[in-house]
Amino acid sequence: MHSTRRSVSLIAGTVLLGLLAVLIAGAHWISPYDPVQQHAAERLEKPSAQHPFGTDRFGRDLLARTLHGGQITLLSAMAALSGALAIGLAVGLAAGMFHNSLLDRLFMRMIDVLLAFPFMVLAMVVAALFGTSLFHLLLAVIAVGWVTFARLARSVVLQARNETSFAAARVLGASNRTLILRELAPKALSPVLILATFELGSLILSIAALSFLGLGAQPPTPEWGSMLADGREYVLQSPHIMFGPALFIMLSVLAFNLIGEGLRDRLDPYEKPQL
Amino acid sequence: MHAASEAILIVEQLQVSYRSKEQARPILHGLNLTLHQGETVCLLGESGSGKSTLAKAITGLLPPSAQVGSGSLALAGGIAVDLADDNGSGSIPWQRIRGTELALLFQDARQALNPVMTIGQHFKETLLDHRKAKPDEVESISCRLLRKLGFTDPLVLLSSYPFQLSGGMCQRICLAIALCLEPKVLIADEPTSALDTVSQREVLSLIRAMQLDLGLTVLLITHDLAVARAVSDRVIVLDQGRLVEQGSVQRVFSQPKALFTRQLLAYRSQVSAPAKLRSTRKSSACLLEVRRLHKSYDANQPIVRDASLTLDEQEIVGVLGQSGCGKSTLARCIAGLETPNAGSILLRGTDISGLQGKARREICRRIQMVFQDARASLHPGRTAQQLVQEPLQYLRIGNKQERIALASHYLQEVGIEGEAQYRKPPQLSTGQCQRIAIARALVLKPEVLICDEAVSALDVRIQAQILKLLKRLHKQYRFSILMISHDVSVLRSFCHHIAVMSDGRFQEGKQASVRLHESSQPHTQLLLRCAGDLEEVRI
Repeated sequence: MHSTRRSVSLIAGTVLLGLLAVLIAGAHWISPYDPVQQHAAERLEKPSAQHPFGTDRFGRDLLARTLHGGQITLLSAMAALSGALAIGLAVGLAAGMFHNSLLDRLFMRMIDVLLAFPFMVLAMVVAALFGTSLFHLLLAVIAVGWVTFARLARSVVLQARNETSFAAARVLGASNRTLILRELAPKALSPVLILATFELGSLILSIAALSFLGLGAQPPTPEWGSMLADGREYVLQSPHIMFGPALFIMLSVLAFNLIGEGLRDRLDPYEKPQL
Repeated sequence: MHAASEAILIVEQLQVSYRSKEQARPILHGLNLTLHQGETVCLLGESGSGKSTLAKAITGLLPPSAQVGSGSLALAGGIAVDLADDNGSGSIPWQRIRGTELALLFQDARQALNPVMTIGQHFKETLLDHRKAKPDEVESISCRLLRKLGFTDPLVLLSSYPFQLSGGMCQRICLAIALCLEPKVLIADEPTSALDTVSQREVLSLIRAMQLDLGLTVLLITHDLAVARAVSDRVIVLDQGRLVEQGSVQRVFSQPKALFTRQLLAYRSQVSAPAKLRSTRKSSACLLEVRRLHKSYDANQPIVRDASLTLDEQEIVGVLGQSGCGKSTLARCIAGLETPNAGSILLRGTDISGLQGKARREICRRIQMVFQDARASLHPGRTAQQLVQEPLQYLRIGNKQERIALASHYLQEVGIEGEAQYRKPPQLSTGQCQRIAIARALVLKPEVLICDEAVSALDVRIQAQILKLLKRLHKQYRFSILMISHDVSVLRSFCHHIAVMSDGRFQEGKQASVRLHESSQPHTQLLLRCAGDLEEVRI
């Protein structure tokens, strides 16, 4: 019984995300300006028909920068998420399947340490060690991000291991690989995916935050977080500089959260109405 | 017997249906029910007959998908409500009715109690919320009640948590909590179905005793004919939401009028008929031997200790025991799901205990298991065909066509034919699910089939059918069966030999099921006594 009311957030989120994707993918056609080309004559212009979001202190068109920046921010967030998801699922499934083994304990202590570590500090350490670049930023995000997925996957697996269907599959001769892939992974996948959509929102925020601090994308590459950082100095005289990236960060986080909520309603076994 | 006493609860024209995706599925079709002061009425019916829905409807506990078409509830003391108002509007003052007028006892008592609250806190909450006692009286009231219900040390009990107590104790405590508000009617929904025979007897005699002592009116909902017969004054038989028969317990059981009641009774006698199995098998070689098996998860609390048992070729051996006696753990050790701490399991002379990896999977071809909850053992998203093919895939037997052919053959053997082979468990009945589970076990042509309470959760009718099926398959495919159950009558009708397990061990070896009653073991005697008609409850 999935009433229409329940999937409203899923539809709204998907539509919003689709819209953003079209805008960002079609950046070239929507805004004819080059995102890094500087125009000294058009510095800090207010929004107008020519520059809908105005221009920044180098006279670059902010709409073009916001849309192109979206490509970088969203793609890197997706990449970081896929990396974290893959590692987290693998570790969680293995740790849960071989519960209480040396492997499990090792992973769990590692997770404890990582969880206790402030994320921003770790990212700064990585940046200090390997230099500041978007790639290193992603590595830092993945290094911390897999932890929550692993924890969740493991807890689902531990529960599923006690179910009759798991015992039945074992008695029927399923190998450990079959057990993990056919019995455990599908059960772990839906809660982990739901968490992932929520995490993607916060990943966009943390990539933007780290770029804001100067640890991610380097100028002149447009990126939402670093654009916000640029606009900070002119916030009193030209507040419109921050408008574009802020709006897009907000909209994309909102889209992913809506999708996450919709997915949870659909997939969460505990929310399913009784017959 | 209570004809002259006044009516204490009247339900009229109760219609309830459940809304699912497309249509509304009617559950109760205009049911009328009257309870008189001080009587015990038993509502008897199969699962799905609507008996629990009735209990939920008159206590306002229906799920949101339920729709009350019509119905009125009148209680002694002038309370009358229109149950059709209950569709989400919340206009019925259930808080005044539940607890003080109608008390409820659920099937799973441990789940009915809050796991993070002590028993004492449960009493406190109940008594104070209803303003039945002052805070300083709570302890004395609850102690008095617990003593009355046969607990010798109520103070210790008040500070313990539900998980520290057995299922039977939890149910007795639920009864005490229900009684502390002095309700007029006690509605017990399958209160003993989750309990083994010994605790079942305890709880039933307590309900009976309290009923006589406090003049309580009891509505007992059950699918178990023996329970109905043992405690009720009057029986109401429900079939698919319709009342098919009611009358005094003696009348209904001796001269059932309705066809449905007659069938129910016939199935029961079929299940509990003494074994007519020929135990004169020629040259019975020992197939499986369990030797001094020991299993514990916690060194102080061994689950199985020193258990020894043999199973011959083509033999059916029953393992009888109360819940918690270690019989399921024994079965799981034999099936390779657990590694025993000590002892050995010999299959045709080779030790198979605690095998891992490939060696364990090879044993799966020879030892198979059917679980109590068939539905839970089947993946809900796969069709019957796919489910039966699973073990063949796991063990890489045959090619695709051969697997399909084998699966169809065994599904036909268990009576799943045609289009039903392509249905998924949610679209199949519980009985059909158990049939699929059996087909899935037999498709590997095992030598040993372990049935862990395989028929315990089923209605009598389905139980009789499944047992008949197992008997036929056993004759045809000549495997041995290890039947684990707490139900003496099922084992006696089905097994050549029975071994009684208590406290993790077998007090004596297996014995011919026809001679079980001659055993001198006190525990065997206790189990037999409790399972015997439950008549003694009626004191």
